[in-house]
Amino acid sequence: MPGKKRTRSSARAVLGVGVLGAALALTGCAGAAGAGSGPAEITFHMSKPEAIPYFRDLVERFNDEQTEVEVTLDTASNLSAGFLRGNPPDVGLLNYNMEMARFMERGALSDLGDMPEAERIRPDVQELVNQYATYPGRTSVLPYSVAAASVIYNIQMFEDNGLEVPTTYEELIEVCETLLDAGITPFYSTYRDAWTVAQGPFDYTVGGRIDVADFYEQMNELGTEVGPDSPVSFEKTFAEPVAQMKELLTYTNDDAESRGYGDGNVAFANGEAAMYMQGPWALGEIAKTNPELELGTFPLPVTDDPEDLKVRVNLDLALWIPEVGTNHEAARTFVSYLMQQDVMDDYNASYLAFGTTEEAAPVTDPRIIGMQEYYDEGKFYQGPSRAIPLTIPVDNYIQSMATGDDPEAELRRLDADWARLALRG
Amino acid sequence: MTTPIAPASAAAGRLVDAAEHGQSDHLAGGRHDKKGRSRVDPVYYAFLLPTLILFTLAITVPAVLGIFYSFTNFIGFGDWQFTGLTNYIAVFQDPAVLSGYLFTFGFAIVTVVLVNVIAFMLAVALTSRIRLKVPLRAIFVIPMVISGIVIAYVFQFLFSNSLPALGNGLGIPLLQESILANPDLAWIAIVITATWQSVPGTLLIYIAGLLSIPGEVYEAADIDGATAREKLFRVTLPLVAGYVVINVILGFKNYLNVYDIIVGLTNGGPGTATRSIAMTIFTGFTGGDYAYQMANATIFFIIAVAISILQLRLTRNRAASA
Repeated sequence: MPGKKRTRSSARAVLGVGVLGAALALTGCAGAAGAGSGPAEITFHMSKPEAIPYFRDLVERFNDEQTEVEVTLDTASNLSAGFLRGNPPDVGLLNYNMEMARFMERGALSDLGDMPEAERIRPDVQELVNQYATYPGRTSVLPYSVAAASVIYNIQMFEDNGLEVPTTYEELIEVCETLLDAGITPFYSTYRDAWTVAQGPFDYTVGGRIDVADFYEQMNELGTEVGPDSPVSFEKTFAEPVAQMKELLTYTNDDAESRGYGDGNVAFANGEAAMYMQGPWALGEIAKTNPELELGTFPLPVTDDPEDLKVRVNLDLALWIPEVGTNHEAARTFVSYLMQQDVMDDYNASYLAFGTTEEAAPVTDPRIIGMQEYYDEGKFYQGPSRAIPLTIPVDNYIQSMATGDDPEAELRRLDADWARLALRG
Repeated sequence: MTTPIAPASAAAGRLVDAAEHGQSDHLAGGRHDKKGRSRVDPVYYAFLLPTLILFTLAITVPAVLGIFYSFTNFIGFGDWQFTGLTNYIAVFQDPAVLSGYLFTFGFAIVTVVLVNVIAFMLAVALTSRIRLKVPLRAIFVIPMVISGIVIAYVFQFLFSNSLPALGNGLGIPLLQESILANPDLAWIAIVITATWQSVPGTLLIYIAGLLSIPGEVYEAADIDGATAREKLFRVTLPLVAGYVVINVILGFKNYLNVYDIIVGLTNGGPGTATRSIAMTIFTGFTGGDYAYQMANATIFFIIAVAISILQLRLTRNRAASA
């Protein structure tokens, strides 16, 4: 009966031998079947949709250039399920976020700290990985590329109205007022897609004013004690930035509540507003509608000191090798190949991303060049909305902050959720 | 059509009841062993086997595992420990879960009533002597073949673009703002969309039910001088009571699991105004909260079973007496 083996292995997990252990045996068998003569076969997971053609070519080139390792590109399989069954891909190159951090935190990713490639990563970029989670004594994840986000602005509109890029909050408000007087909507917002509010206005105002990494470190230590009386809390620490966000959002389009991400890209491409708080991923979409549009980027000023300006970053792609698997050597060969400086620079140039190594080439695209100096100086933060586990519907709460009358109630709700999660975590 | 189907189905119900209590040997092919007990032909068990195996593997085993893990801090892979009832205690203290249940049940009750009333009226109209009966039936059934997420995206466009444009054009203030952006009204949009999607399935069952009512019953009612209204409430409705039960139970169960329509329309928003239980549970898989949401799912499962039993109990007598 085909069901019998399955039930038995489930029962084993139940007995506490552990899913990983049981599955290790399974992959062991699978690996042995492939490891005869000929090249070592490994799978490479890369599912960033727009980058698939690029890496398909790269994998093909790698397979042609040598005979030791044969790489298969996997763009579709479910990672959680892969780890659960104990047969994750041999090499992963993915967006790094709280979800990936969970795999690392539980020791599912192997140590790459002894690879020479690990030495080349900028320490402040490597630190971004550790902000979500760490595993003692391991460098489990190598940052591959960074996406920097700030305010996208319509250069023509700024020039037509004699506007300079603002560097203080006061200047920003002046810019907004001038644009309004000229009959131009200052910001375009798309509240219907909650994530756009979270990753744009919310992250920019909060991240621009507080030390995000330090805040979450304290929040994690406080755990169940987060509440009205704790030294830091969402309600206490975020109240002012969120009030500022509300103020800024009065300069947005009237129909923001019923507009989504796609609408926003088209509207901004058609010149319906002068500024757009979106990441580099929107640039490609805007270009589809209006390839001629001249765009630039600048960090959202939220204080009165130009020295405080920071850009929002996220680890667009990061490399890792799972702990399970029999082909670590082959996987490392491929990782070294991917980590060659010209390969990395080539990817970053094609996908509007910033390099993660000390010697990475600077960006050249005029649309994102405005962020280079901040990135070089390490003036960046990871989005505060992304440091909250997905199980808390933080995007929805932020949507309510933007559209509702009582943002502090939403912040209190976040605090309560945080404490509850800590209780059972 | 000389066979009265409704009484027959009631008779079938009694037959099943009788079989359950071992009073009948219809299925045993009339053979008996030495002690006089009926002997069941093994081929009947063979018929059961494939379904039983698939059901066990695809439904029972994962469900039991899920319930098991709800007592741990398992996140989907890796090490875990028993945490006892912690997850359950946390679920009951979670206002998001509570509001999810309130929304889901409110939505399910409103939708099930609306769908059944509309579908029943349509079914009566489409089985009466009207023109273009067949093409009309085909048109009404079309929504059934469209995937839920597609329907949701189309309605999302209607609610956030077309209706406000219409409201502005005609100067109707109520329509000028998208109801999807209004936390107090967004649920209405979801009810409308869900209703549009599920009327056809319900309609088909009602049409089948109405067609099974023999013409003689109506002839007799005519001779007795019944009005159209009386015929509807005294003859038609009692005779399709069994179909009402089926539609209500199936519908209610479906609406409790509402997921794709909400994802396409509001994604739980504005804020968390339209977050259903199924959506909350699903975040457990994507958000690394597997064990906790398994506890939530277990509670949901128990509630759903309790409601199904209650509905069956309440409606069975009605159906049988018809």
